[in-house]
Amino acid sequence: MNFFEKLQKIDRRWIYLILAISIFLPLAFPFNSRTFTTRPTESLYRMIDSFAPPPDTDPVDHNRAFLMSIMHDASTMPELFPMELAVLRHAFERDIKVFTITWIATAAPLIDLAINTVKEEFATREENPKQIISGVHYVNFGFKIPALYLAMILGMGEDIANAIEIDAEGRQLSSLPAMTNIRNYNEMNLVVEFTGSAPGGAWITYARSRFGTNVAVGVTAVSAADVYPQLQTGQLIGMLAGLKGAAEYEKLVEVFAATDREFSREILRAEMDNPKFALTNDNIPYNFKQARIGMNAQSVAHILIIVFILIGNIGYFVQKYKQKQEVQ
Amino acid sequence: MFEIFSNWVAAFFTLCIFSFLYKDNPFYRFAEHLFVGVSMGYAIPLTWNASMIPNVYRPIFLQHRFELIFPALLGALYIFTFNRKLNWLSKFPIAFGMGLVGMGVPMSMNAGVLVQMRGAMIPIQDINTFLVWVGTVTILLYFFFSKAHTGAYGKIVKVGIWYMMLGFGASFGYTVMARISLLIGRIQFLVIDVVQNTIRFFGS
Repeated sequence: MNFFEKLQKIDRRWIYLILAISIFLPLAFPFNSRTFTTRPTESLYRMIDSFAPPPDTDPVDHNRAFLMSIMHDASTMPELFPMELAVLRHAFERDIKVFTITWIATAAPLIDLAINTVKEEFATREENPKQIISGVHYVNFGFKIPALYLAMILGMGEDIANAIEIDAEGRQLSSLPAMTNIRNYNEMNLVVEFTGSAPGGAWITYARSRFGTNVAVGVTAVSAADVYPQLQTGQLIGMLAGLKGAAEYEKLVEVFAATDREFSREILRAEMDNPKFALTNDNIPYNFKQARIGMNAQSVAHILIIVFILIGNIGYFVQKYKQKQEVQ
Repeated sequence: MFEIFSNWVAAFFTLCIFSFLYKDNPFYRFAEHLFVGVSMGYAIPLTWNASMIPNVYRPIFLQHRFELIFPALLGALYIFTFNRKLNWLSKFPIAFGMGLVGMGVPMSMNAGVLVQMRGAMIPIQDINTFLVWVGTVTILLYFFFSKAHTGAYGKIVKVGIWYMMLGFGASFGYTVMARISLLIGRIQFLVIDVVQNTIRFFGS
C-alpha cells in the first residue's frame, strides 16, 4: 500500500484530531493578524454610529435608538454572541440607546449574559470606567411569546411602549428614562436581528415594508450567502456574516468607537498594524477580541482544510492514473 | 467559585458531546437527553410567565378586562388537538391564525418578490450589473423545462448551471466556516473560561 492509498483510507478521527489541534494552538497562544472589514459590516457600523447623541446633548434625552432582536439559542452562540458583544460595546461607548428583545425562550438568558458581560467590562476597566444602567442606557424588552411577534412588530410602528408594555424586569416601558423621546420606528429606526435562520424575514416584511424601518442582520455563516440579494436591493442596510463579521465589527469598535473617532477608511488603513489595537495587547479585554482571536484559528483551520482537499485530490488522481496503467 | 464549578460542569458535557466523534456512547446520549430536558424545563415556565400571566391572568383577573375571556377561550381550544373526537374544535384557533398569516401576504409579496425583481431589473452600468444580468437570465432559462436543453439553448443554460455551481460553492465555503466557528467557540470556552479561569482563580 503506497502513501496515497494510505491517505485514501485514513481513519477520519485522525483528521478530527489534527483539526482540533490546529484550532487549539492559535486560541491558546494568540498571535497578531490583520482584520480587513467589508462593506456590509461598515454600513451597519456607520448606521449605528449615526445614532450617537451630539456632544452637547444629554444621551437620555436623545431621540435615536436601535433594537437588537436576538433570535437564536446557545447552539449558534460561537458566531452570534461575539457580534452582540461588539454591537453592545459600540452602543455603550457612544452613549447610543439600545433595546433588546427575543421571541425565543432560550435566548432570554443569552441577552442577560451579553449585557452583563459588557456592563462588567465597562464598570471594571481602569481607563474611563462607566456604569451602564438598565432603563437608562438600555432597555431589555425580554422574552415575548412568539404568537405575539406580528402584533408587536406592527404595534411598535405606532407606539413601542404600548406594544411591548413591560420590560424583562417587569417595569412599565413608558416610565423608563431610556424611552424619553422614543415613540416608534421614527426614532428607533434600526433593527438588527441576530439569527441562525431566516435572517430579517419578519422585520423586512412588516417593519420595513410598512414603516420604512432600517433592517440589518447578524447571521451565521451558513445563512450569509442567502442574504446578499437583499443587501443588493437595499432591503438590508448591513450584515455581519459569521465569526468573520463579528471580528470585523470588533475591529471597527476598537479603532473608532473606543477612541471616540468617526469612521474613516483612511484611518482604518493607517491603524492596521498599530500595536494599540493588536490582539496581543493585554489592555483589550478578551471579550472584546474573542472573534478576532477566533478568526486566527479559523484561518489556520481553513488552510489545513485546503491542504487536505489538495492532498485528497492528488491522491485520487494518482490512484486513477495507476489503475489505468494496470488495465493497459 | 460557583462560576468555576458551573464551567467545569459545562466542560464535562461538552466533552460528553465531543465523544461522539470517536463513536456513539452512553455519555453522549446522556448529555443529549439532558439538554433536551433542561431546555424544555426552562422554556415551559418561562412561556407560562411571559404568556399566561401578562396576557390572561393579569388583565382578566386583576384588571377585570372581561372581553379578553373570548380570545383566551379561543386559544384554549388548541388543547383539543389531542382528543380524537373533539379535535375539530382545535381548527377554530388555527383558522384564526391562518387569517392573520393572510394579512401578511401583500407585504411578503412586496418584500420577497417585487422589490427583489426590481433589484434584478436595473440598467447594465458596470461589470457587476452585467454579471448579475447574465446570471439571472441564464438561470431562469435553466428552469424553463418546456424546451430541451440542447444545441445553442443548451450552451446558454450551461452558463446558468455554472452560476449555480459558484453559488453552491460559496454556500458550502460559508458552511465550512460556520462549522469550524462552532468548534472554535467550544475550544475557546474550554481554554479560556474553564482552564485559564481556573488557574487564575486558584493562583490568586
